[in-house]
Amino acid sequence: MTVEATARTYTITGPEPELWYRDLISCLQATCGSVLAREGADPLAVLGAGWQFLHMPGDVRSEEFYYPCSAGQLGRALAPHHDLSARWWQPADEGDVWREVRERLADDRIVIAAVDNFHLPFRPAYGDVHAAHLVLVYGLDETRGVVHVSDAMPPAFRGAVPIEEFRRSWGSANPTDAQDAFFSDSEIGLRCLDVSLGTPPAPLTPESLGDCLRTDVEGFTTETSSRTGIAGYDAFAGELRERCRAGDAGALRELYPFGWAMQAQASLHGELLRRCGRDWDDAVLAGAGRAVETVAHAWTGLRFTGAHGHGDPRAAAPDIAHHATLLRAAYARAVDAVGAAAARL
Amino acid sequence: MVLSEAGNVTENVLPSIRGAWNPEKVFRDAGGAGKASALPVGRGLYDAIDISGHRNNTAVSAATETTAGEFNVWRNSFAAEYLPAGGSLVHVDDVPFRFPPVCEGPDNIRCSGQFIRVPEGRYDWIHVLAASERRTEDTVELSFADGSVDAEALRVSDFWAAPAWFGETKAFESLVMHYPHHVQRGIPAVMWAQRVPVTRRTGLTGILLPRNVAVHVFALTLQRTET
Repeated sequence: MTVEATARTYTITGPEPELWYRDLISCLQATCGSVLAREGADPLAVLGAGWQFLHMPGDVRSEEFYYPCSAGQLGRALAPHHDLSARWWQPADEGDVWREVRERLADDRIVIAAVDNFHLPFRPAYGDVHAAHLVLVYGLDETRGVVHVSDAMPPAFRGAVPIEEFRRSWGSANPTDAQDAFFSDSEIGLRCLDVSLGTPPAPLTPESLGDCLRTDVEGFTTETSSRTGIAGYDAFAGELRERCRAGDAGALRELYPFGWAMQAQASLHGELLRRCGRDWDDAVLAGAGRAVETVAHAWTGLRFTGAHGHGDPRAAAPDIAHHATLLRAAYARAVDAVGAAAARL
Repeated sequence: MVLSEAGNVTENVLPSIRGAWNPEKVFRDAGGAGKASALPVGRGLYDAIDISGHRNNTAVSAATETTAGEFNVWRNSFAAEYLPAGGSLVHVDDVPFRFPPVCEGPDNIRCSGQFIRVPEGRYDWIHVLAASERRTEDTVELSFADGSVDAEALRVSDFWAAPAWFGETKAFESLVMHYPHHVQRGIPAVMWAQRVPVTRRTGLTGILLPRNVAVHVFALTLQRTET
Protein backbone atom coordinates (compact mmCIF):
# COMPACT_ATOMS: atom_id res chain seq x y z
CA MET A 1 0.00 0.00 0.00
CA THR A 2 1.19 3.52 -0.62
CA VAL A 3 0.66 6.82 1.03
CA GLU A 4 -0.90 9.32 -1.33
CA ALA A 5 -0.26 12.48 0.65
CA THR A 6 -1.78 14.64 -2.03
CA ALA A 7 -3.13 13.87 -5.46
CA ARG A 8 0.35 14.51 -6.87
CA THR A 9 2.59 12.94 -4.24
CA TYR A 10 3.58 9.30 -4.39
CA THR A 11 6.05 7.39 -2.28
CA ILE A 12 6.73 3.85 -1.22
CA THR A 13 5.68 2.74 2.23
CA GLY A 14 8.13 1.88 4.98
CA PRO A 15 11.76 2.88 5.25
CA GLU A 16 13.84 4.32 2.45
CA PRO A 17 15.57 1.72 0.25
CA GLU A 18 18.61 -0.04 1.65
CA LEU A 19 21.90 1.09 0.14
CA TRP A 20 23.18 -2.30 -1.01
CA TYR A 21 26.75 -2.14 -2.27
CA ARG A 22 29.98 -4.05 -2.80
CA ASP A 23 33.14 -2.48 -4.20
CA LEU A 24 33.24 -4.61 -7.37
CA ILE A 25 29.58 -4.39 -8.38
CA SER A 26 27.98 -1.87 -10.71
CA CYS A 27 24.82 0.15 -10.31
CA LEU A 28 22.93 -2.76 -11.88
CA GLN A 29 23.64 -5.17 -9.03
CA ALA A 30 23.36 -2.35 -6.47
CA THR A 31 19.86 -1.32 -7.56
CA CYS A 32 18.67 -4.91 -7.98
CA GLY A 33 20.11 -5.75 -4.57
CA SER A 34 18.19 -2.91 -2.95
CA VAL A 35 14.95 -4.08 -4.57
CA LEU A 36 15.58 -7.66 -3.47
CA ALA A 37 16.32 -6.58 0.09
CA ARG A 38 13.05 -4.68 0.19
CA GLU A 39 11.24 -7.83 -0.97
CA GLY A 40 12.70 -9.65 2.01
CA ALA A 41 15.28 -11.63 0.05
CA ASP A 42 19.00 -11.86 0.68
CA PRO A 43 20.55 -9.99 -2.28
CA LEU A 44 23.84 -11.90 -2.06
CA ALA A 45 22.06 -15.27 -2.07
CA VAL A 46 20.00 -14.33 -5.15
CA LEU A 47 22.57 -12.39 -7.18
CA GLY A 48 25.50 -14.56 -6.09
CA ALA A 49 24.05 -18.03 -6.60
CA GLY A 50 24.88 -18.18 -10.30
CA TRP A 51 28.16 -17.91 -12.14
CA GLN A 52 28.47 -17.98 -15.90
CA PHE A 53 30.48 -16.57 -18.77
CA LEU A 54 28.66 -15.07 -21.74
CA HIS A 55 30.03 -12.71 -24.35
CA MET A 56 27.80 -11.44 -27.13
CA PRO A 57 29.79 -9.84 -29.96
CA GLY A 58 28.28 -6.57 -31.10
CA ASP A 59 25.96 -6.36 -28.10
CA VAL A 60 28.08 -4.38 -25.63
CA ARG A 61 26.72 -0.93 -24.81
CA SER A 62 28.65 1.89 -23.19
CA GLU A 63 26.66 1.91 -19.95
CA GLU A 64 27.64 1.13 -16.37
CA PHE A 65 24.71 -1.28 -16.23
CA TYR A 66 25.45 -3.30 -19.36
CA TYR A 67 24.96 -7.02 -18.80
CA PRO A 68 25.12 -9.67 -21.53
CA CYS A 69 21.89 -11.59 -21.97
CA SER A 70 19.41 -12.70 -24.59
CA ALA A 71 16.54 -10.34 -25.31
CA GLY A 72 14.23 -10.11 -22.33
CA GLN A 73 16.37 -12.44 -20.23
CA LEU A 74 18.17 -9.99 -17.96
CA GLY A 75 16.62 -11.40 -14.79
CA ARG A 76 17.62 -14.91 -15.73
CA ALA A 77 21.14 -13.77 -16.55
CA LEU A 78 21.53 -11.97 -13.24
CA ALA A 79 20.03 -14.76 -11.15
CA PRO A 80 19.93 -17.98 -13.18
CA HIS A 81 18.85 -20.09 -10.21
CA HIS A 82 16.03 -17.82 -9.01
CA ASP A 83 12.71 -16.58 -10.32
CA LEU A 84 13.95 -13.04 -10.94
CA SER A 85 12.27 -10.86 -13.53
CA ALA A 86 14.03 -7.80 -14.94
CA ARG A 87 12.26 -5.97 -17.76
CA TRP A 88 13.13 -2.67 -19.42
CA TRP A 89 10.34 -0.21 -20.23
CA GLN A 90 9.86 3.36 -21.35
CA PRO A 91 6.93 5.74 -20.82
CA ALA A 92 4.17 5.10 -23.32
CA ASP A 93 2.98 8.70 -23.43
CA GLU A 94 5.51 11.40 -24.21
CA GLY A 95 2.95 13.92 -22.98
CA ASP A 96 2.97 12.41 -19.49
CA VAL A 97 6.25 10.57 -18.90
CA TRP A 98 5.58 10.24 -15.15
CA ARG A 99 2.39 8.21 -15.50
CA GLU A 100 4.03 4.78 -15.15
CA VAL A 101 6.26 6.02 -12.33
CA ARG A 102 3.18 7.20 -10.43
CA GLU A 103 1.46 3.87 -11.04
CA ARG A 104 4.38 1.85 -9.74
CA LEU A 105 4.91 4.01 -6.68
CA ALA A 106 1.16 3.88 -6.00
CA ASP A 107 1.53 0.11 -6.16
CA ASP A 108 4.38 0.36 -3.60
CA ARG A 109 7.03 -0.60 -6.14
CA ILE A 110 10.44 1.03 -6.49
CA VAL A 111 11.38 2.26 -9.94
CA ILE A 112 14.89 1.67 -11.27
CA ALA A 113 15.66 4.50 -13.67
CA ALA A 114 18.50 4.99 -16.11
CA VAL A 115 20.12 8.41 -15.81
CA ASP A 116 22.99 10.49 -17.13
CA ASN A 117 25.28 11.48 -14.25
CA PHE A 118 26.01 14.80 -15.94
CA HIS A 119 22.60 16.14 -14.84
CA LEU A 120 22.37 14.74 -11.29
CA PRO A 121 23.56 17.17 -8.59
CA PHE A 122 24.70 14.44 -6.17
CA ARG A 123 26.90 12.60 -8.65
CA PRO A 124 30.60 13.54 -8.88
CA ALA A 125 30.22 13.88 -12.64
CA TYR A 126 27.55 16.59 -12.27
CA GLY A 127 28.01 19.26 -14.89
CA ASP A 128 31.23 17.61 -16.00
CA VAL A 129 31.03 14.12 -17.48
CA HIS A 130 28.27 12.24 -19.30
CA ALA A 131 27.84 8.64 -18.12
CA ALA A 132 24.94 6.17 -18.13
CA HIS A 133 23.99 5.06 -14.62
CA LEU A 134 21.07 3.53 -12.67
CA VAL A 135 19.34 4.90 -9.57
CA LEU A 136 16.26 4.01 -7.54
CA VAL A 137 13.22 6.29 -7.57
CA TYR A 138 11.20 5.78 -4.40
CA GLY A 139 9.08 8.91 -4.37
CA LEU A 140 7.61 11.55 -6.65
CA ASP A 141 6.31 14.84 -5.29
CA GLU A 142 4.96 16.87 -8.15
CA THR A 143 3.59 19.46 -5.75
CA ARG A 144 7.03 20.32 -4.40
CA GLY A 145 8.70 19.49 -7.69
CA VAL A 146 11.09 16.78 -6.49
CA VAL A 147 11.92 13.14 -7.15
CA HIS A 148 13.15 11.01 -4.26
CA VAL A 149 16.23 9.13 -5.40
CA SER A 150 18.46 6.51 -3.81
CA ASP A 151 21.92 5.62 -5.11
CA ALA A 152 24.21 3.19 -3.25
CA MET A 153 27.25 3.84 -5.44
CA PRO A 154 29.76 6.18 -3.79
CA PRO A 155 29.10 8.86 -2.73
CA ALA A 156 25.93 7.16 -1.50
CA PHE A 157 22.87 9.39 -1.69
CA ARG A 158 19.25 9.29 -0.60
CA GLY A 159 17.12 12.34 -0.97
CA ALA A 160 15.23 14.76 -3.12
CA VAL A 161 16.33 15.91 -6.56
CA PRO A 162 14.57 18.73 -8.43
CA ILE A 163 12.19 17.14 -10.88
CA GLU A 164 13.47 19.12 -13.85
CA GLU A 165 17.07 18.07 -13.22
CA PHE A 166 16.03 14.47 -12.86
CA ARG A 167 13.99 14.72 -16.06
CA ARG A 168 17.02 16.04 -17.96
CA SER A 169 19.12 13.18 -16.62
CA TRP A 170 16.46 10.54 -17.35
CA GLY A 171 15.87 11.84 -20.86
CA SER A 172 19.47 12.65 -21.73
CA ALA A 173 21.01 11.78 -25.05
CA ASN A 174 24.17 10.96 -23.03
CA PRO A 175 26.35 12.24 -25.86
CA THR A 176 29.88 11.14 -26.59
CA ASP A 177 32.19 12.48 -23.89
CA ALA A 178 35.95 12.32 -24.29
CA GLN A 179 36.31 12.23 -20.50
CA ASP A 180 34.44 8.93 -20.31
CA ALA A 181 34.90 6.65 -23.28
CA PHE A 182 33.23 3.74 -21.53
CA PHE A 183 29.85 4.98 -20.33
CA SER A 184 28.94 7.88 -22.62
CA ASP A 185 27.50 7.82 -26.14
CA SER A 186 24.47 5.78 -25.14
CA GLU A 187 21.07 7.47 -25.13
CA ILE A 188 19.26 7.17 -21.81
CA GLY A 189 15.85 7.59 -23.43
CA LEU A 190 13.68 7.57 -20.28
CA ARG A 191 14.44 3.92 -19.70
CA CYS A 192 13.37 2.17 -16.54
CA LEU A 193 13.83 -1.34 -15.23
CA ASP A 194 11.21 -3.39 -13.39
CA VAL A 195 12.83 -5.96 -11.13
CA SER A 196 10.82 -8.41 -9.07
CA LEU A 197 11.04 -11.83 -7.52
CA GLY A 198 8.39 -14.36 -8.42
CA THR A 199 8.62 -17.41 -6.22
CA PRO A 200 10.17 -16.39 -2.90
CA PRO A 201 13.59 -18.02 -2.67
CA ALA A 202 13.94 -20.90 -0.25
CA PRO A 203 16.84 -20.67 2.19
CA LEU A 204 20.07 -21.93 0.68
CA THR A 205 21.03 -25.43 1.75
CA PRO A 206 24.10 -27.46 0.83
CA GLU A 207 21.91 -29.52 -1.47
CA SER A 208 20.33 -26.56 -3.28
CA LEU A 209 23.65 -24.74 -3.61
CA GLY A 210 25.23 -27.96 -4.85
CA ASP A 211 22.63 -28.10 -7.62
CA CYS A 212 23.46 -24.51 -8.61
CA LEU A 213 27.18 -25.21 -8.68
CA ARG A 214 26.87 -28.38 -10.71
CA THR A 215 24.73 -26.56 -13.28
CA ASP A 216 27.22 -23.71 -13.48
CA VAL A 217 30.23 -26.02 -13.83
CA GLU A 218 28.46 -27.80 -16.66
CA GLY A 219 27.89 -24.42 -18.27
CA PHE A 220 31.59 -23.64 -18.04
CA THR A 221 32.73 -26.99 -19.41
CA THR A 222 30.20 -27.55 -22.19
CA GLU A 223 30.70 -25.92 -25.55
CA THR A 224 27.65 -24.24 -27.07
CA SER A 225 26.94 -22.26 -30.21
CA SER A 226 27.23 -19.07 -28.10
CA ARG A 227 30.30 -17.68 -26.38
CA THR A 228 29.67 -19.39 -23.08
CA GLY A 229 31.90 -21.13 -20.58
CA ILE A 230 35.63 -21.60 -20.89
CA ALA A 231 35.37 -22.12 -24.65
CA GLY A 232 33.41 -18.89 -24.94
CA TYR A 233 36.06 -17.09 -22.92
CA ASP A 234 38.75 -18.40 -25.25
CA ALA A 235 36.84 -17.08 -28.25
CA PHE A 236 36.34 -13.71 -26.57
CA ALA A 237 39.98 -13.41 -25.49
CA GLY A 238 41.31 -14.48 -28.86
CA GLU A 239 39.21 -11.90 -30.64
CA LEU A 240 40.21 -9.24 -28.12
CA ARG A 241 43.89 -9.89 -28.76
CA GLU A 242 43.39 -9.77 -32.51
CA ARG A 243 41.39 -6.56 -32.43
CA CYS A 244 44.06 -4.89 -30.28
CA ARG A 245 46.81 -5.94 -32.62
CA ALA A 246 44.75 -4.50 -35.47
CA GLY A 247 44.51 -1.16 -33.64
CA ASP A 248 40.77 -1.41 -32.95
CA ALA A 249 40.14 0.93 -29.99
CA GLY A 250 36.53 -0.20 -29.90
CA ALA A 251 37.66 -3.53 -28.51
CA LEU A 252 39.04 -1.81 -25.40
CA ARG A 253 36.08 0.55 -25.04
CA GLU A 254 33.80 -2.51 -24.97
CA LEU A 255 36.07 -4.46 -22.64
CA TYR A 256 35.50 -2.12 -19.72
CA PRO A 257 31.68 -2.35 -19.39
CA PHE A 258 31.57 -5.99 -20.46
CA GLY A 259 34.28 -6.95 -18.01
CA TRP A 260 32.49 -5.13 -15.20
CA ALA A 261 29.47 -7.41 -15.65
CA MET A 262 31.61 -10.54 -15.45
CA GLN A 263 33.72 -9.16 -12.62
CA ALA A 264 30.72 -8.18 -10.50
CA GLN A 265 29.10 -11.56 -10.97
CA ALA A 266 32.26 -13.45 -10.01
CA SER A 267 32.79 -11.28 -6.93
CA LEU A 268 29.27 -11.91 -5.63
CA HIS A 269 29.43 -15.64 -6.36
CA GLY A 270 32.78 -15.98 -4.67
CA GLU A 271 31.63 -14.06 -1.62
CA LEU A 272 28.51 -16.20 -1.31
CA LEU A 273 30.48 -19.43 -1.53
CA ARG A 274 32.92 -18.24 1.08
CA ARG A 275 30.05 -17.25 3.36
CA CYS A 276 28.34 -20.60 2.95
CA GLY A 277 31.63 -22.39 3.46
CA ARG A 278 32.10 -20.59 6.75
CA ASP A 279 28.50 -21.09 7.89
CA TRP A 280 28.51 -24.79 6.97
CA ASP A 281 32.06 -25.43 8.19
CA ASP A 282 33.08 -26.49 4.69
CA ALA A 283 36.63 -25.33 3.97
CA VAL A 284 36.57 -26.75 0.45
CA LEU A 285 33.52 -24.66 -0.43
CA ALA A 286 35.07 -21.56 1.14
CA GLY A 287 38.24 -22.17 -0.86
CA ALA A 288 36.22 -22.51 -4.04
CA GLY A 289 34.63 -19.16 -3.27
CA ARG A 290 38.04 -17.64 -2.86
CA ALA A 291 39.09 -19.10 -6.21
CA VAL A 292 36.07 -17.48 -7.86
CA GLU A 293 36.98 -14.18 -6.23
CA THR A 294 40.40 -14.51 -7.80
CA VAL A 295 38.62 -14.50 -11.15
CA ALA A 296 37.00 -11.21 -10.17
CA HIS A 297 40.35 -9.78 -9.16
CA ALA A 298 42.00 -10.95 -12.38
CA TRP A 299 39.33 -9.04 -14.31
CA THR A 300 40.80 -5.85 -12.76
CA GLY A 301 44.10 -6.41 -14.54
CA LEU A 302 42.46 -6.97 -17.90
CA ARG A 303 39.87 -4.19 -17.60
CA PHE A 304 42.31 -1.52 -16.44
CA THR A 305 45.02 -2.49 -18.87
CA GLY A 306 42.40 -1.92 -21.53
CA ALA A 307 41.12 1.30 -19.99
CA HIS A 308 44.59 2.85 -19.77
CA GLY A 309 45.54 1.51 -23.16
CA HIS A 310 42.47 2.30 -25.22
CA GLY A 311 44.19 5.25 -26.85
CA ASP A 312 46.80 2.96 -28.38
CA PRO A 313 45.46 -0.59 -28.62
CA ARG A 314 48.46 -1.89 -30.55
CA ALA A 315 50.81 -0.83 -27.78
CA ALA A 316 48.48 -2.34 -25.20
CA ALA A 317 48.17 -5.65 -27.04
CA PRO A 318 51.02 -7.51 -25.26
CA ASP A 319 49.73 -6.60 -21.80
CA ILE A 320 46.16 -7.38 -22.85
CA ALA A 321 47.35 -10.81 -23.95
CA HIS A 322 49.20 -11.23 -20.65
CA HIS A 323 46.16 -10.44 -18.52
CA ALA A 324 43.84 -12.49 -20.73
CA THR A 325 46.13 -15.44 -20.03
CA LEU A 326 46.09 -14.80 -16.27
CA LEU A 327 42.31 -14.50 -16.29
CA ARG A 328 41.97 -17.70 -18.29
CA ALA A 329 44.05 -19.53 -15.70
CA ALA A 330 41.95 -18.07 -12.89
CA TYR A 331 38.76 -19.26 -14.58
CA ALA A 332 40.15 -22.76 -15.11
CA ARG A 333 41.30 -23.08 -11.51
CA ALA A 334 38.03 -21.71 -10.13
CA VAL A 335 35.87 -24.01 -12.27
CA ASP A 336 37.93 -26.93 -11.00
CA ALA A 337 37.57 -25.79 -7.39
CA VAL A 338 33.82 -25.19 -7.68
CA GLY A 339 33.39 -28.61 -9.27
CA ALA A 340 35.25 -30.25 -6.41
CA ALA A 341 33.16 -28.37 -3.86
CA ALA A 342 29.91 -29.22 -5.65
CA ALA A 343 30.74 -32.91 -5.63
CA ARG A 344 30.69 -32.86 -1.84
CA LEU A 345 27.37 -31.01 -1.45
CA MET B 1 48.08 8.77 12.95
CA VAL B 2 51.72 8.75 11.97
CA LEU B 3 55.05 9.43 13.55
CA SER B 4 57.34 12.03 12.18
CA GLU B 5 61.02 11.33 11.76
CA ALA B 6 61.61 12.74 15.21
CA GLY B 7 59.05 10.39 16.67
CA ASN B 8 56.37 13.01 17.26
CA VAL B 9 52.77 11.96 16.89
CA THR B 10 51.16 13.80 14.02
CA GLU B 11 47.72 13.80 12.40
CA ASN B 12 48.93 13.43 8.83
CA VAL B 13 48.63 17.12 8.18
CA LEU B 14 51.06 19.23 10.10
CA PRO B 15 52.47 22.03 7.98
CA SER B 16 55.30 22.34 10.46
CA ILE B 17 56.77 18.97 9.49
CA ARG B 18 56.52 19.56 5.75
CA GLY B 19 60.02 19.60 4.44
CA ALA B 20 61.45 18.54 7.79
CA TRP B 21 63.09 15.60 6.07
CA ASN B 22 65.18 16.47 3.07
CA PRO B 23 64.80 13.82 0.39
CA GLU B 24 67.50 15.37 -1.73
CA LYS B 25 70.02 14.90 1.04
CA VAL B 26 69.11 11.30 1.67
CA PHE B 27 68.82 10.36 -1.99
CA ARG B 28 71.97 12.05 -3.19
CA ASP B 29 73.87 8.77 -3.27
CA ALA B 30 70.97 6.64 -4.32
CA GLY B 31 71.20 5.16 -7.77
CA GLY B 32 67.48 5.09 -8.58
CA ALA B 33 66.41 2.34 -10.94
CA GLY B 34 69.80 0.76 -11.53
CA LYS B 35 71.30 0.40 -8.07
CA ALA B 36 70.16 -1.05 -4.78
CA SER B 37 69.96 1.34 -1.91
CA ALA B 38 68.23 1.67 1.42
CA LEU B 39 66.99 4.80 3.09
CA PRO B 40 67.67 5.59 6.73
CA VAL B 41 64.66 4.80 8.87
CA GLY B 42 66.27 4.56 12.25
CA ARG B 43 65.18 1.04 13.13
CA GLY B 44 67.44 -1.99 13.21
CA LEU B 45 65.07 -4.47 11.62
CA TYR B 46 63.97 -2.48 8.62
CA ASP B 47 65.42 -1.24 5.34
CA ALA B 48 63.33 1.33 3.51
CA ILE B 49 64.07 0.82 -0.18
CA ASP B 50 64.79 3.70 -2.49
CA ILE B 51 62.24 3.52 -5.31
CA SER B 52 62.72 7.09 -6.49
CA GLY B 53 64.08 6.07 -9.86
CA HIS B 54 60.95 4.08 -10.67
CA ARG B 55 58.24 6.56 -9.79
CA ASN B 56 56.14 7.16 -12.86
CA ASN B 57 52.72 8.33 -11.67
CA THR B 58 51.25 11.19 -9.64
CA ALA B 59 48.56 10.02 -7.24
CA VAL B 60 48.47 12.97 -4.84
CA SER B 61 47.43 16.50 -5.65
CA ALA B 62 46.80 19.76 -3.86
CA ALA B 63 43.28 21.14 -3.67
CA THR B 64 44.54 24.14 -5.60
CA GLU B 65 45.85 21.98 -8.44
CA THR B 66 43.75 18.84 -8.74
CA THR B 67 44.57 18.57 -12.43
CA ALA B 68 48.07 17.44 -11.44
CA GLY B 69 46.70 14.11 -10.17
CA GLU B 70 46.39 11.11 -12.43
CA PHE B 71 46.05 8.10 -10.15
CA ASN B 72 43.40 6.36 -12.27
CA VAL B 73 41.85 6.46 -15.72
CA TRP B 74 39.61 9.36 -14.70
CA ARG B 75 42.55 11.28 -13.25
CA ASN B 76 41.26 11.08 -9.69
CA SER B 77 43.82 11.61 -6.95
CA PHE B 78 44.43 11.64 -3.20
CA ALA B 79 44.15 14.98 -1.42
CA ALA B 80 47.56 16.05 -0.13
CA GLU B 81 46.18 17.73 2.98
CA TYR B 82 45.05 14.38 4.40
CA LEU B 83 48.39 12.65 3.87
CA PRO B 84 51.79 12.81 5.60
CA ALA B 85 54.31 15.38 4.54
CA GLY B 86 56.34 14.48 1.51
CA GLY B 87 59.48 12.57 2.42
CA SER B 88 58.50 12.13 6.06
CA LEU B 89 59.12 9.00 8.07
CA VAL B 90 55.82 7.33 8.86
CA HIS B 91 55.01 4.19 10.80
CA VAL B 92 52.13 1.86 10.05
CA ASP B 93 51.69 -1.06 12.44
CA ASP B 94 55.18 -0.18 13.72
CA VAL B 95 56.68 -0.62 10.25
CA PRO B 96 58.59 2.47 9.10
CA PHE B 97 58.13 3.82 5.58
CA ARG B 98 59.59 6.80 3.82
CA PHE B 99 56.56 8.63 2.45
CA PRO B 100 57.15 9.76 -1.12
CA PRO B 101 57.53 13.37 -2.16
CA VAL B 102 54.13 15.06 -2.32
CA CYS B 103 53.10 17.57 -4.98
CA GLU B 104 56.60 17.54 -6.42
CA GLY B 105 56.01 15.28 -9.40
CA PRO B 106 55.65 11.51 -9.55
CA ASP B 107 54.97 9.97 -6.14
CA ASN B 108 54.34 6.29 -6.86
CA ILE B 109 55.16 3.39 -9.15
CA ARG B 110 52.37 2.37 -11.48
CA CYS B 111 53.37 -1.24 -11.90
CA SER B 112 54.55 -2.30 -15.31
CA GLY B 113 57.16 -4.93 -14.56
CA GLN B 114 59.81 -2.72 -12.94
CA PHE B 115 62.71 -4.54 -11.29
CA ILE B 116 63.75 -3.07 -7.96
CA ARG B 117 67.20 -4.05 -6.72
CA VAL B 118 67.49 -4.31 -2.95
CA PRO B 119 70.52 -4.54 -0.64
CA GLU B 120 71.30 -8.23 -0.58
CA GLY B 121 70.18 -9.79 2.67
CA ARG B 122 67.93 -12.21 4.47
CA TYR B 123 64.43 -10.82 4.86
CA ASP B 124 61.13 -12.18 6.17
CA TRP B 125 58.68 -9.60 4.85
CA ILE B 126 58.34 -7.03 2.13
CA HIS B 127 56.09 -4.25 3.41
CA VAL B 128 54.44 -2.00 0.86
CA LEU B 129 52.36 1.14 0.92
CA ALA B 130 50.07 0.61 -2.03
CA ALA B 131 46.70 1.35 -3.58
CA SER B 132 44.82 -0.15 -6.48
CA GLU B 133 42.31 0.86 -9.11
CA ARG B 134 39.78 -1.78 -8.00
CA ARG B 135 40.67 -4.86 -6.02
CA THR B 136 43.72 -6.57 -7.49
CA GLU B 137 45.70 -9.75 -7.03
CA ASP B 138 48.89 -10.19 -8.97
CA THR B 139 52.37 -11.60 -8.53
CA VAL B 140 55.75 -10.21 -7.57
CA GLU B 141 58.83 -12.27 -8.41
CA LEU B 142 61.57 -12.33 -5.81
CA SER B 143 65.14 -12.80 -7.05
CA PHE B 144 67.80 -14.30 -4.78
CA ALA B 145 71.58 -14.26 -4.79
CA ASP B 146 71.77 -17.97 -5.56
CA GLY B 147 69.80 -17.49 -8.77
CA SER B 148 66.49 -18.78 -7.49
CA VAL B 149 63.26 -16.90 -8.13
CA ASP B 150 60.02 -17.19 -6.16
CA ALA B 151 56.62 -15.80 -7.13
CA GLU B 152 54.53 -14.41 -4.31
CA ALA B 153 51.10 -12.81 -4.32
CA LEU B 154 50.67 -9.06 -4.03
CA ARG B 155 47.08 -8.30 -3.04
CA VAL B 156 45.87 -4.72 -2.87
CA SER B 157 42.34 -3.50 -2.14
CA ASP B 158 40.57 -0.78 -4.04
CA PHE B 159 41.52 2.80 -3.23
CA TRP B 160 37.95 3.99 -3.93
CA ALA B 161 35.82 4.04 -0.78
CA ALA B 162 36.44 0.34 -0.25
CA PRO B 163 37.10 -2.01 2.64
CA ALA B 164 40.38 -3.85 3.26
CA TRP B 165 39.32 -6.93 1.31
CA PHE B 166 42.69 -8.62 1.73
CA GLY B 167 43.08 -7.80 5.41
CA GLU B 168 45.49 -4.94 4.91
CA THR B 169 45.91 -2.08 7.34
CA LYS B 170 44.42 1.21 6.26
CA ALA B 171 47.58 3.29 6.26
CA PHE B 172 46.26 6.68 5.14
CA GLU B 173 42.93 7.98 4.01
CA SER B 174 42.10 11.07 2.06
CA LEU B 175 38.59 11.94 3.20
CA VAL B 176 37.86 13.61 -0.10
CA MET B 177 38.53 12.50 -3.66
CA HIS B 178 40.18 14.89 -6.06
CA TYR B 179 38.66 15.11 -9.53
CA PRO B 180 40.33 17.10 -12.30
CA HIS B 181 37.85 19.94 -11.89
CA HIS B 182 36.64 19.69 -8.31
CA VAL B 183 37.08 18.25 -4.82
CA GLN B 184 34.51 15.55 -4.05
CA ARG B 185 33.31 14.92 -0.52
CA GLY B 186 31.88 11.55 0.45
CA ILE B 187 34.36 9.44 -1.52
CA PRO B 188 37.49 8.62 0.46
CA ALA B 189 40.72 7.51 -1.20
CA VAL B 190 42.61 4.86 0.74
CA MET B 191 46.26 3.85 0.80
CA TRP B 192 46.92 0.39 2.21
CA ALA B 193 49.80 -1.21 4.11
CA GLN B 194 50.22 -4.70 2.70
CA ARG B 195 52.98 -7.26 3.10
CA VAL B 196 54.50 -10.03 1.00
CA PRO B 197 56.31 -12.98 2.61
CA VAL B 198 59.88 -13.95 1.76
CA THR B 199 59.87 -17.68 2.44
CA ARG B 200 63.24 -18.63 0.97
CA ARG B 201 66.06 -18.60 3.53
CA THR B 202 68.69 -17.02 1.35
CA GLY B 203 69.75 -13.57 0.28
CA LEU B 204 67.12 -11.49 -1.50
CA THR B 205 68.51 -9.26 -4.27
CA GLY B 206 65.55 -7.85 -6.13
CA ILE B 207 61.80 -7.59 -6.63
CA LEU B 208 60.07 -7.73 -10.01
CA LEU B 209 56.78 -5.85 -9.82
CA PRO B 210 53.76 -7.13 -11.76
CA ARG B 211 52.77 -5.92 -15.22
CA ASN B 212 49.57 -4.48 -13.83
CA VAL B 213 48.78 -0.79 -14.23
CA ALA B 214 46.01 -1.01 -11.62
CA VAL B 215 48.58 -1.47 -8.83
CA HIS B 216 50.41 1.54 -7.41
CA VAL B 217 53.32 1.30 -4.95
CA PHE B 218 54.15 4.36 -2.85
CA ALA B 219 56.81 2.98 -0.53
CA LEU B 220 58.60 -0.25 0.15
CA THR B 221 60.32 -1.46 3.32
CA LEU B 222 62.08 -4.77 3.91
CA GLN B 223 61.96 -6.48 7.28
CA ARG B 224 65.18 -8.37 8.00
CA THR B 225 65.29 -11.89 9.36
CA GLU B 226 66.03 -11.78 13.07
CA THR B 227 69.13 -13.68 13.98
